[in-house]
Amino acid sequence: MNPVGRIGLIVTVTAVAIHFTGVAYAQADFEGIWNPQHPPRMGQPDPASVRLTPEGQAEYESYGPDKDPTLRCLMPGIPLGLVDPYPIEIVQQDHQILLLYEHFHQVRRIFMDGREAPDHWLPSIGGYSTGHWEGETLVVRTTLMSPDNYTWTNGFPYSGDEDAYVIERYRRDGDELTFTGEVHDPRYYEEPYVVNGRWNFAPDGEIWEYECIPEFGGIQ
Amino acid sequence: MLLIGFSATAHHNGATYFDISTELEHSDATVVSYDLVNPHGRLVYVFMDDEGNEVEWRAELPSANNARRRGLGGDLFRPGDRLTALTGSPSRSGANFMRLTRVLFANGDVAQITGRNAGVVRAGTE
Repeated sequence: MNPVGRIGLIVTVTAVAIHFTGVAYAQADFEGIWNPQHPPRMGQPDPASVRLTPEGQAEYESYGPDKDPTLRCLMPGIPLGLVDPYPIEIVQQDHQILLLYEHFHQVRRIFMDGREAPDHWLPSIGGYSTGHWEGETLVVRTTLMSPDNYTWTNGFPYSGDEDAYVIERYRRDGDELTFTGEVHDPRYYEEPYVVNGRWNFAPDGEIWEYECIPEFGGIQ
Repeated sequence: MLLIGFSATAHHNGATYFDISTELEHSDATVVSYDLVNPHGRLVYVFMDDEGNEVEWRAELPSANNARRRGLGGDLFRPGDRLTALTGSPSRSGANFMRLTRVLFANGDVAQITGRNAGVVRAGTE
């Protein structure tokens, strides 16, 4: 093989190797337990700044404690569970990143191998999440979330429409993990609802069991 | 006091369910029951109102997980305990129910239930 052909072969083999393995590997190390250190209001926007559509406003105004799934011990899912005041553990594997939440034992799988949501996947409380790296920022896109979900427990709704989705961006700076979540839901919001989160690396942290008893969720 | 440095104690938006712009104070109360569970802990207590009638109230505490991380354990209250004062935000429903923020015990100990400084301060240590 002449030198040009050899170089071409090396480039091709390298490209194939990156395609099938390299894309799955993390560009930043998020592994471990992280304790919440969220901004005020749990990182939620000032309600007055959220631009609802008329339909979204009607939904917002109809909210009551009886519609809060977590008071009935139901897993918050996404987008409601994007931030909460409990530790999370992050496990990075080649094909997926696992987000293990203490809150309601919620488990999220962020598929990193380029797959798309399969046709048979039904809308669910946590939806279907895929991710990729933009430099050292993990970008997660979640679709197929249940219309029974909420964006926040003060009544900001979530439609579950086909064109609704959530984009999350995670970035590590030293021992701090910062997060921005955008809820795109054109039926209810004139512009994306944006929530922020922050966690501190906790090498000695613990994830506790979160048993929940509905009888103690009543707000009346 | 156990200090973890967490940023918040409640997942729920308290203002949705409680009028956090105001606080009530109940004095000379007696503990009826205390359950530290998820999603919220609950304290039931009685005290004499201004007319001399015994009334029963319930108070919401943070979740068991969040309370325990702040040193607010399942043994914080026992039935029959005398409480000098309880402070909290009233339920918007009008029921005898509030979101507990602070408790002064008969021995002078103070339990701060919510906020970044949540925990128990023993009498004479502050």
